Formats: sequence, structure tokens, C-alpha cells
Amino acid sequence: MDDTIISADIVVVGGGSAGCTAAIRAQEALPKGRVVLLEKANIKRSGAIAIGMDGLNNAIIPGHATPEQYVREITMANDGIVNQRAIWEYAVNSWPMLQQLDAWGVKFQKTASGDFDVKQVHHNGRYVLPMPEGYDLKKILTRQIRRAGVQVVNRIMGTRLLVEESGGQRRIAGVLGLDVRSGAFAIIRAKAVILACGASGRLGLPASGYLFGTYENPANAGDGYSLAYHAGAELTGIECFQINPLIKDYNGPACAYVTGPLGGHTVNALGHRFIKSDYWSGQMMLEFYKELHSQRGPVYLKLDHLAGETITEIERVLHRTERPSRGRFHAGRGHSYANDLVEMHISEIGLCSGHSGSGVWINERAETTLAGLYAAGDMASVPHNYLLGALTYGKIAAGHALDYIASKDVAGAGAETASFSEAIDAERARVLAPLARTDGIPPHQLEYKIRRLVNDYLQPPKTATRYERGLLHFARTAEELGQLGASNPHELMRAAECGFILDCAVMAAKSSLYRTESRWGLYHYRLDYPERDDARWFVHVNLHRGKDGTMQFLERPVAPYVVPVSDSELHSYSQLRIAEPANT
Amino acid sequence: MPDLPNREPAKAAQAKIVGNAQAVRRFDVPVVVDAAKCVSGCHICVESCPVDCLAIDLATSKATMKHDDCWYCLACEIDCPNDAITVKIPVLLR
Repeated sequence: MDDTIISADIVVVGGGSAGCTAAIRAQEALPKGRVVLLEKANIKRSGAIAIGMDGLNNAIIPGHATPEQYVREITMANDGIVNQRAIWEYAVNSWPMLQQLDAWGVKFQKTASGDFDVKQVHHNGRYVLPMPEGYDLKKILTRQIRRAGVQVVNRIMGTRLLVEESGGQRRIAGVLGLDVRSGAFAIIRAKAVILACGASGRLGLPASGYLFGTYENPANAGDGYSLAYHAGAELTGIECFQINPLIKDYNGPACAYVTGPLGGHTVNALGHRFIKSDYWSGQMMLEFYKELHSQRGPVYLKLDHLAGETITEIERVLHRTERPSRGRFHAGRGHSYANDLVEMHISEIGLCSGHSGSGVWINERAETTLAGLYAAGDMASVPHNYLLGALTYGKIAAGHALDYIASKDVAGAGAETASFSEAIDAERARVLAPLARTDGIPPHQLEYKIRRLVNDYLQPPKTATRYERGLLHFARTAEELGQLGASNPHELMRAAECGFILDCAVMAAKSSLYRTESRWGLYHYRLDYPERDDARWFVHVNLHRGKDGTMQFLERPVAPYVVPVSDSELHSYSQLRIAEPANT
Repeated sequence: MPDLPNREPAKAAQAKIVGNAQAVRRFDVPVVVDAAKCVSGCHICVESCPVDCLAIDLATSKATMKHDDCWYCLACEIDCPNDAITVKIPVLLR
């Protein structure tokens, strides 16, 4: 089969929230330029918000919140280990993006006077803007993609990046990938690449044992983390896992951000509140974990005290957007919000800066450490960035990628592909190899095994002994990647994803071992180093693939804050617990 | 009765290098397509699926869930123009 060959000025990998705004911004600035949007699914239903979203979690709307407040809140929520300039860039650019979405027809909840109806869910500030009719969000973005004239290439998954090396300089030269329908190998040459591949959402195994029962859209298998790693770009904070409080078994959000402002809240088995804030932070997750594993567990979302019309309103939102099958999950068990508590649990681990802080290291210009390579959204290192962060940073990334390709020092798209023939041939052989192994291991079985090992050895709380054992198992499993067999292009995609998942597992293990303290609540809770140690560990832990092919670690200082945060504020997220009354 | 010969060292070595054998097993899958309502020639649901688990069955020209990868997201059900699809919660979660 012939290779699929594409040439572009800018290629965006991933057509979710960040990828869409990146592609729109780039194409609008280059009316005659070639902007290509690669998507492993179909952009009309892809990314974390394939089925829409029920609200913005981090809207910074004049009159309700300021960029200073927001930067301070996220600095506290992430225990101080942040690049504030990157959060600040989001904070000041997100309001124009929100207005842009409003103009595109995205429906936000407004008051009778037409003001945005902002709610408080975070520990301190007001940033949550409901979108009760947010189910059309991805369709609206897709319409804007078409209107801008972006060249959309659906069902091609990036598997490695193409890097040009000359005179000691390294810069991006394109993307290699797989057409997951035809099985063709794809070569996409580009002057700049924007990675927007979403979270590593298929890392741990859901407790149900169902591979695709993940919180994140399971198409987001950590592709971007792996692509950036193998290209030699730095990743950061990988030890700061994503763990979410979810509806038990359904493994989707309950969702406290929707129900909280309407009076819903988390309770233990005694019916008592035990956390002050339902905002998802590692510190909140640690209290949740402790409660679940105490005699006061399990933990529930309590809605049965609410008025009938409030419950109807909650159902109208939760059963139509983000994860609309929540409704039939409850109905199938004969449960209702009016009569039953919603049993909650904590999820398997993932990597997602959108919720916590682990991602490809970027600065406030969305630049990675590799020239010409940008990253945005759930895979880029701006902590707690969520949906509006993805949309905002996609646009920021495109703006700076445009500046980059306008400079003289870029790898030419289309020309001298022959000089990459060795790298291209090796990657084609690697990606297509499972097709030749007709009796090879089916990808779903190896994936199950990798993710089961992730649960066994990496699920917090963490210890060095368990993590080192885990690494031994991952090394053994890495050899089995070479025994994968695929009988069709779909299985070929799943086989390549096993590699992404294993890369993320190894990064998660080694980063966690490196940081010998506890931080971010449950996300990096080490039983062998249970205390937070600011004197030693007030640094970013970054990793990259060294010249010898091994994983290298380095520490980067936390850049001076642009918004001052006092020491007492830096510990405010450690005080989320509500004490039990003395007589219980 | 004489001791059985200990074949384990040889078999253990053999197990490391022998090829793989495979079996096929049935799966209960979440996406249920009403063939009477599914329109031949339409593949909207196949394009909608974010995990590419649907396909058109070439023998019947109808959509079917081909791979056990469903996220029960309802994209196919919502986007079907003829209400031919019902998505169930996967049996392991139900």
C-alpha cells in the first residue's frame, strides 16, 4: 500500500478543543497557507468534549473574578509548583476566547439581566459558568473549522514526530502516522507542529475491568505525551497524577460542578459533609480517599434533599451533555437522584494537566523545548487548565507557531524528505509490523495487562518498593510489544496505542520515584516520604529522552511569581477537611 | 509406579519460543442497531464514533458494533437520523 503524503505549513495533531482553535487561528492568518488538522477520530465527535460540556470550570469574567485571583487560586491548588506566567497568559486571554465562543453561538447560562451566571465551586473564587445546553459545542467548533477552510484529515493518528538535526540544532520537521481505516502509513511534512492530543486517559484500568470505561475519552491514550517524549521534548510534573472522584462503576463525573451550585454535595456513609470544597484538587482527593477507606466510607453525592424542580434541572443538564448515558446507568439500577444517594469512588490514574499538572513542558507561548513544536490542551503543562484553557491555549500556540514559520530558520515542508528516509522507513516498519504477525498477541490483551500492572503498582499511595517492582514488570511487558499482532488497521491503531500507554506508565513511575516527598494530596502521596518538603522539592521535575535513548531527569526552578502568594495561602488547599462531630 | 520423567525444563524452554494459539470468544456489546431502521448507504454513526468501534457490515449494508471499544458516549445514537441505534451501558458496568 502506498504511503499517504501530506505537506503543510502548520500541522495540528488532534482535533479536540485545543486543536480546533489552533487550526482556526492559524488558517485565518494564512488564507493561502496550508494548515492541516490531523484527527484519529472525526472532528465532529472527538476529543475530551466529544459530546459537549456542561460548563466552564475556570471562567475569569470581569466583575466576577480577576486574573490575579485566578492565578493565585491555581497556584494554591497546585501547591505552588507552577509557571505563573503560563497561567497568567491563560487568565488574560480566556475572557476574549469566552466572548468568541459566545459569538459563535455556544450557549452559556446567563442571568435575567443578560450577565454570565457565574457560580462558586473552587475553594476561594468564583469561576464556574454553567452551559446547560453545551451539547453542541463540538459541532459549533467543527462549523468554524469548515468556515476557516482548514484541511481536515480524519482517522489519521500520529505515531512519531519527524525531527531535523543539523549542526547540533534540532527542530521539528513533521509527523509520521497511521491511517486507522486503510492501514496506510502517513508522512506529514510541516514547518511547525502543534500537539493537541489530549490526556493520557487510558493509563490505569477502571475497577470494572472494562478497558474503555474511562473518565477521559479513551481515544486519548497519551499519544501526545509519547510523541513529545520520543522527539526529545521535555515533560513535567508527570508524578502529579490525575485521579477523579467518579460515579462508582459508571466511572464518569457525578458532577459536583453542576450539582454543587444547586445544593448537591459529597457526604460520607453517616450522611455528613467531610470536605469544604468539591473542586477537584489532589488535596480534596486525599480526603476523599481517606474517607472511602475509613469506617465512614463509602462516599456519596447527595441530591435527595433537593426540591423536585431542582432535581429535574440537574437531570436536564447531566443526562444531555458531557456524559449523557449517566441517566440510563442510574435508571438501569432503578436509582434516582430524588430517592437515592449516588455512590462514588476514586478513579484509576491518568495524566492530564487539564485537571492536575502533568504534561508536556510549555511556556507562556505554548512552546515546547523543541524548536517548532508547540503543545496545548490537556497534554500541555498549564495546570488545572480545563476546557477553556484548551480553547485559549490552542489559539496562543497557533499565534506563536505563525511567528515561528515566518522566521527564516525553519525546516522546509515538502523538500528534502529523502534526508529523513531512514527515520521514515524505521517508523513505517515499526508501526506496520503487527500486521505481519498473524498469530501475534491481540492488542486488547496486552493493553489489559499493562493497565492492570499500572493499577497494581502505580495507584497511590506510592512507595519506592512498589514502583520499582512496577518498572521491572513494565520492562518485561515492553518486550511483548514486539509480539503484538493485528488483523486489521483498527487493531494496528490499538497496537500503537499500547506503546503510548506503556511510555506513560514508565514516565509516571520514574517521575514518582524521583520526587522523594509528598505533594498534591493523593496525586503524589508517598508513604515512604509522607511530608511535603518545600526546602528540597519546591522545583519542577522534568524529564526527556536523552541522546542515548534513556530517560533523563532535570529540575527546573519555579520562576518568580507574577502574582504574590503568601505562605499561608500556599497551604490553604491542605485545609479542606471538615472535622466529624465529637459524638460520632 | 515409576516416577514420571520431569519434562518441565524442556517444556518451559519450549513455551518461551513456541508460536501463539488463539480462540474466538463472544462479547455482549453496548451498541444495538435496529436493522429495519438502519438506512443502507448511510454511515453517519460510523463517522461519529470517537473510538471507531462501528462499521458497516458488508453482507447486510447495516451498521454494527465491530470492536469491543465503546465509551457509551451516545454519539452514534444522537447522530443517527433514523433513531436506529440504542446504546446500553456495557454489561461490566451495568
